[in-house]
Amino acid sequence: MSSLLMMLLPIIIIEFILLIVALIDLVKIPETNGPKWLWAIAIVCVSIIGPIIYFIFGRKQV
Amino acid sequence: MMQWRVLLQKEWRDHVRSLKVLWIPLVFVLYGVMQPVMLYYMEDIMKAVGNMPEGFDMGITDVTSVEVMASTVGQFHLIVSLIIVLSFMGIISKERKNRTAALLYVRPISFSSYYFSKWSGATIVALVSTIIGLLASYYYTVILYNEVDAWRIAALIGTYSLWVLFVVTVTVTASALFPTGVAGTLAILLTYFVQLIDSIIGQFWTVSPWKLGTYAVTWLGSKPDSSDFWLSVVVTVIAIIVLMFVGVFGARKNMENIKI
Repeated sequence: MSSLLMMLLPIIIIEFILLIVALIDLVKIPETNGPKWLWAIAIVCVSIIGPIIYFIFGRKQV
Repeated sequence: MMQWRVLLQKEWRDHVRSLKVLWIPLVFVLYGVMQPVMLYYMEDIMKAVGNMPEGFDMGITDVTSVEVMASTVGQFHLIVSLIIVLSFMGIISKERKNRTAALLYVRPISFSSYYFSKWSGATIVALVSTIIGLLASYYYTVILYNEVDAWRIAALIGTYSLWVLFVVTVTVTASALFPTGVAGTLAILLTYFVQLIDSIIGQFWTVSPWKLGTYAVTWLGSKPDSSDFWLSVVVTVIAIIVLMFVGVFGARKNMENIKI
């Protein structure tokens, strides 16, 4: 079981980095497409896909 | 050359500030690593979540490293072009809309260096991310399964890089020609939809840029038919060059559409 954990650790770390970076960016960014709190829920609750969707569609890119 | 370098620096700063240099490699590594780990621990996962009948054998424990790598690239293939298209579809068209273009176009900048700075910036991010992702999945495959010949992986990465170049060029050119929404749709159609058609009725021809993904995987087991493969490479390179010219032309032609 510990080897499973060791193997899964990089995946969990990357997921975690994505989540944290997305959240920090969400706090710092002045405006997003759609309400901010909805993005916060999406980033935290939907793992991996949530931050990706935020980076692609959430940041205001015009 | 000087203009290109300055514009590329601006481009790079944009990619850093929009965090593209961070999240695109991370996501690619994630998708590269997930498949080998998932396949390796499938039995444990199944035991943990579902009550399988006694003596149930799924026959997935004896997969070879080549099969694992092939299925990883298959998984990778789905996500790569989608993420590249979606994150770079506004690369030129958004500048026309958010008034950056007006600031740029009043200066004596050649449109080719403008287009190539955009193209190079997107290419650096996309290509480096793809290579890192594929290397990560190779590393995991070697750790969990057996050795795969390094030259096969090199050939796979080389072939796949050309496909990534093609996707980037299609996206940047579409962005130069059309507004963001249209550009994204067109680029998705040209990469995904044509690939779908290619996989359905593609046995009638063997030379097309959309076959590069398949050829890349073929390197793992045997070798792709060399004349078909090299013809596809040549066709793809020609398509990229033609698309570049179209893109420079489109950037110049859309000068009147900028917002001031």
